[in-house]
Formats: sequence, C-alpha cells, structure tokens
Amino acid sequence: MYLVPDDEELAIASAAAEYLADAMPIDRLHAANPADLKDDVRNALGDMGWYALALPEADGGSGLSAIEHALFFREVGRQCGPVEVMAQCLAAMTVADADLRAQITSGAVGVSLAIVDGDSLRLLGSPAARYALQVTRNEACLLDLQGAQVSAKSSLDLALSMAVVPAGCPVVATRAGDHVWMMGQLATAAQLVGISEASLEQIVEYAKVRETFGKKIGSWQAVRHPCADMAVRLEAARSQLWYAATAIKEGSLDAGVHLDAAKHQANVAALANTDSNIQLHGGIGVTDEHHAHLYMKHSLVLAKLFGGRREILARLLHAELED
Amino acid sequence: MDLQYSEQDREFRAKARAWLSANVPAEARPAHGHASATFDRDWQRKLYDHGWAGVSWPKEFGGLGLSGLQQVLWYEELARARAPHYINTTYVAMMHAGPTLIARGTDEQKAFHLPRILSGESLWCQGFSEPNAGSDLASLKTRGVVDGDDIVVTGAKMWTTDAQHGDYQELLIRTDPDSQRHKGLTWVICDMKTPGIDIKPIRTMLGDEHINTVFYDEVRIPIANVVGEIGQGWSTALATLSFERGLGFIGDQLELYERVGRAVDLAGKLRFDDGTLAIDDSAIAQKLASLKSDAMAIRAMTLADIAETDRTGQPGPKGSMMKLLVTNTHKALSEVVGEMMGWDFLEFNGDRSAHPWTYDFLWSWIFSISGGTNEIQRENIADRVLSLPRAR
Ligand SMILES: Cc1cc2nc3c(=O)[nH]c(=O)nc-3n(C[C@H](O)[C@H](O)[C@H](O)COP(=O)(O)OP(=O)(O)OC[C@H]3O[C@@H](n4cnc5c(N)ncnc54)[C@H](O)[C@@H]3O)c2cc1C
Repeated sequence: MYLVPDDEELAIASAAAEYLADAMPIDRLHAANPADLKDDVRNALGDMGWYALALPEADGGSGLSAIEHALFFREVGRQCGPVEVMAQCLAAMTVADADLRAQITSGAVGVSLAIVDGDSLRLLGSPAARYALQVTRNEACLLDLQGAQVSAKSSLDLALSMAVVPAGCPVVATRAGDHVWMMGQLATAAQLVGISEASLEQIVEYAKVRETFGKKIGSWQAVRHPCADMAVRLEAARSQLWYAATAIKEGSLDAGVHLDAAKHQANVAALANTDSNIQLHGGIGVTDEHHAHLYMKHSLVLAKLFGGRREILARLLHAELED
Repeated sequence: MDLQYSEQDREFRAKARAWLSANVPAEARPAHGHASATFDRDWQRKLYDHGWAGVSWPKEFGGLGLSGLQQVLWYEELARARAPHYINTTYVAMMHAGPTLIARGTDEQKAFHLPRILSGESLWCQGFSEPNAGSDLASLKTRGVVDGDDIVVTGAKMWTTDAQHGDYQELLIRTDPDSQRHKGLTWVICDMKTPGIDIKPIRTMLGDEHINTVFYDEVRIPIANVVGEIGQGWSTALATLSFERGLGFIGDQLELYERVGRAVDLAGKLRFDDGTLAIDDSAIAQKLASLKSDAMAIRAMTLADIAETDRTGQPGPKGSMMKLLVTNTHKALSEVVGEMMGWDFLEFNGDRSAHPWTYDFLWSWIFSISGGTNEIQRENIADRVLSLPRAR
C-alpha cells in the first residue's frame, strides 16, 4: 500500500506539466478567440502521444494506467485545458476500428463532448469537430456531426465553445460498459484538483508580496486562515483522487464508489478554492486580465461533467465499500 | 501508487479482528469517575496480557512496532468491533508520555515507566496549559526552583484532563525565572501523589468532571525526573505535541466512516412528525452522503500521509490538516443527526453511552479546542505547509 505518486509516476506528471505549460498555457485565454483546442495544438498533442497514454499498447497506446491518466489531466486542469483534450482521449478508448482510432489519437480529426440536454444534445468543444462523444455509465458512443444542425450558444467558460444539436446524429462507434465513463470521471476530478492547486498557489504567491497596512497580507489571519482551509480541501480531494485512480488501476470492485467520492471532493474543493482565490486578491481578483476568474468559470463546467453534486450524492448515500 | 495489502498485513487484520471480536468487553464503559478509570486500566491490561499493547511503540520497549499501515488496520478493526475508545484515561500515557520518554527519556526513566504504562498500571496526565497559557503555551509561568537534588514547583496548571486519575504528569515549568517565552522551560515527570498538589475539578458543559485545575505549592520533584535537559523543555514539549498532532488522532480519522454509516442507518429508521423517514429528506440525505465522502477522503489522506512519512522518514506537517478536517467533519455529522433526531436529541444527562449522539455533539467543541484549537491548526498550516509570512 503506497498512496502517493512514485518516481516514475512523478516523471510522467512533470513531463506533462512542462509540455502543457508550453502548448496550451493558461495565458492563451487572455488572447483573442481563446476557446477550444486549436487544430495545430490538437495535432501536436497527438504527435506526442498524450491522447493514447492509458490506451493498451495493442491498440496503439502507451499502455499506462489510470494513475498516469489522472496525473496528466491534473496538469491539463492547471492550464484550464480545453474539454476536447479529454473528449479526444476518451474517444480513442471507445473506437474499436484501428484506422479511425489512429485518426483520433493522432489528432487528425477533432472530437467534442456531447451531453443529453432535454430533447437535444449539448456540444462542448470546437464547432470544427467532426465527431462528438457521448458517455453514460453504461456506454460510450461516438457520433458523426457531419451535416448536423449545430446552433452555437454563448459560453461563460472562456476555454470552451458551446452549441446544441438535435438528437439523432449517426453513431459511428460504441463501447459498452463503464470503462470510458470512469476514465472520464477520473479525468474531470483530476482537472478540478489541478485547478484547486493552481488557485491555492496563485493566492499564496500574492499573499507573500502584496502589502496592506504596512504588512504582507499573508501575515493577516483573515487571509492566512482561508488559505489554510483551501490547503485542507485540496489535500482531501487530492488524496481521494489518488485512491480512486489506484482502485481503478487495480480493478477494485468498489472503484466506482471511490471515484464518486473523488469527484465530489474535487467539485467542492475547486468551487471553494476558486472562490477564495478571487476574494483574497481584492479588486484585482475580479479583473478580466487576471487568471482567477478563468479557474472559477472552468470549474463550473467541469463540476457538472461526469457526475454533478446531486447525482453523485444520491449514489454515495447507500454505496458500500469493500474490506 | 498501489492499494495492495501484503500477506502479512492481511494476516494481521484477520488476527486482530478475531481477537477483538472475542475480547471486546460486553458492558459499556462507565461515564465518569473512578469506575471509568478502572475500566480503562482493565482494558489496557487485557491488551497488554494478550500482546496488543502499544501498536505504535517500538518492539524494544515492549510495543508491537507496527508499520503505519498496520496501525491503520488496527484502528479500523477497533472501530469495527466497537472496542473501548482509545481516547480515554490511558490516552496521554500511551499516545504521548510513552513516546516522549522513548524519544527523550533516560534509561532509568524508560525502564521504570514504560512497562507500567503499557500494562495500564500507571495513568498519566498532561500539565502544559495554564490559565494564561493555552494557545500561547510558551508564556507559561509555573515556576521551578532547583534546590539540591530537587526542583521545587509552585504555580497552577489548567484544563488538565484526568488529573484526578493520573499517577504521573507531563509537567512543563519555567526553571529560569528571568527567561522569556520558550527559553528556560523544563519538562519533568511529576508524581501526582507528591505533597503540595491540589486538584480542583472543572465541570464541563458535557456535565462531567474530567478536566481540572492543578495547584502546586512547593512541590518537590527529583531532578532525576527531568526529561531532556533543564532549560530545554520546549524542545521536549514539541516532541510531545508532535506525537499528539501526528497520528495521535488516527483512530478518530478512521472511525468517522463507521460513524457516518451508523448515522445513515439511523436516518433509515427515524421518522419526522409528518411521517416521512429522515433518509427520504433530500437535504439530510445529501449532507450524509457528502459526509461519507469526507470520511473516505480523510482515510485516503491518512494513507497518503503514512506513505509520505515512510518515504521521507519523518512525519510531515499534515497532522494539523487532518485534525482540522476531522473535527469539522465530526461537528457537521453531529449537527445532521441532531436535526433528524428532533426532541430526543435534547435529552441528555451526561451519560455518553445512553445518549451517544448528543454527547458527541458536545464533545465536538472539545475536540476543536483541546490539543490546539482549530485556529492554531490553521496557523500551523499557514506557516509550515504554505510558508506564508509569519503572523507571530
Ligand atoms: C476539554 C479540554 C481538555 C484539555 N486537556 C488538556 C490537558 O490535558 N493538558 C493540557 O495541558 N491542556 C489541556 N487543554 C488545554 C487546551 O490545549 C487549550 O484550551 C487550548 O490550547 C486553547 O487555549 P486556551 O483555552 O487558553 O484559549 P486561548 O489561547 O485563550 O484562545 C482563545 C481563542 O483565541 C484563539 N486564538 C488564540 N491565539 C490565537 C492566534 N494566535 N491566532 C488565532 N486565534 C487565536 C483561540 O483559537 C481561541 O478561539 C484542554 C482543553 C480542553 C477544553
């Protein structure tokens, strides 16, 4: 039993951190038209093999586990990475046809995420995406968007385009079972943990330099104590994320329960930490040029994906753990 | 990362479970007084006689020398078996006096005290806080004057848990009258039967008398009882506090999950006046489910902390984070249960076993004040985890 990343796992995480800070830095969200995964970045990520990290080697992947998947998406979260990075990754797990899978893992075609919304589907991601991935707890389906009636919607989250499309797009691939759902839930929880961490780091840095009343604000307890609370929430969410990722890797029967707990902890930590980060920055915290609102807006989207609060709590109440 | 238990771990769990299920006392622990201390001594003696005393103590001092993970298993099994709670009159002796002596005591001190602690023969209490020195412990004033082979102690300690049952005390005093703050303090073993000690109980809002003010009037303590060196007591005291704040509450961390389970069971039985079951109330159901995830995360945090400690060889500053999270979760759980129990929750006569949820509700404040308040834990986190500019 060893519940913190070991050296090899840390090496993957730091490689991902370095790569993503360069390929999709959060600063991009302050430039014009920042939403979505741009074609060149999508291709570059594909070339580096990031979409195929947790895909079996026999399917052209790196054959790594849910743990590396979680470590990678934590870094995606820190940069408020586009939702398509996850859609692309999960689509590769859904498709059995080797050619189509290779197109997806290489980034040659784009995949957005589709969520049932009343009679229609809500699309999250680039309008240029050729496919959309719809994932439930029982099944994942890849839909063909070619020729579909897509109506664009405005998006609070600057990292994301939103649109709706009538239901009934042709299905090009399906995968039964909960594997894709679990990897999606793990990836969203991990991104939220990344955001919780980045928010805490950002305010701690600021608290060390900003002065009021002749002292650094980080020496005022009204700043120190909410920062301590942020750290505690983060630590709980991060530890539970490690637990869930490891339980999936090891095929524990109760992995789904640990994953639900991880997603709930991550939802709570990200929403609270992004809130505190804005508040403790004072006026600068509500400006457009600052990152603080980007984290908050992106968390609101991720907190709804792969298990929002009500759905998860309803399941957790009577869930049983193994010994 | 991995979650696999070794063969040895699994065997250990099975052995502990079997022993506990056959040996956990059937009768409830008496709520108060001499009878409660006798109950605790007897249970400790039983653990000792069967080779289960001192799970965290090194083998060479009579403990089990268990790894962090096996300690987790032990406390999980204690919670599952509903064994007598480990936070009782033996707590100070087992969880911090013993470990402090092991780390800093002389050979004579170890040889005399450690077996007595393990077997439940001697109970200890902690005399650190004073009327004007709680959070600001280094401002303590109780004075010790070296006179021949003795230190003569005069002053008062406050909030001393179980002083009335204690055979010995971890006593922190100022031996250099001109010293400031943490310099000039000394940590001594005080025999509670020494002449000049007067113990006055303080009744708590739980209706019990487990904390006390202890007065010292020229109490003579042999210099041989100094742990660490004269004038170096702060360093010994920090060692004591690190045991208390490290894995000192590990049992509570792990027991929470069981308690949430009990609350969910209760919610499935209790009906409100309008006939609805508490569990069908969505606000209550959501709170309970959310607390269940908190309890799971606290366990994961405990396991992650143990893994990190194994790697770095020393406990990190996570103790404060866990204490804060556990105390807050305890309080929140009591509040939901209080809401669903209605008027029954307001029936209380100070008896823990007759009114467990109400007792725990009141206890939740003690938990968030004693051993360092939640505010002080936040200060520790700000300093030691986040390296924020110092407030003090
Ligand atoms: C039931 C119980 C049992 C106890 N058992 C023992 C025992 O066995 N042995 C022993 O030695 N002690 C014991 N204590 C004492 C306990 O450690 C102290 O009560 C505790 O450390 C707080 O100190 P205080 O009561 O003097 O509060 P104070 O230090 O007076 O604090 C008052 C309030 O101010 C806040 N505060 C103080 N300083 C700061 C700061 N720098 N920043 C932010 N907030 C601050 C505190 O959090 C608190 O809310 C026990 C206490 C209780 C209630």
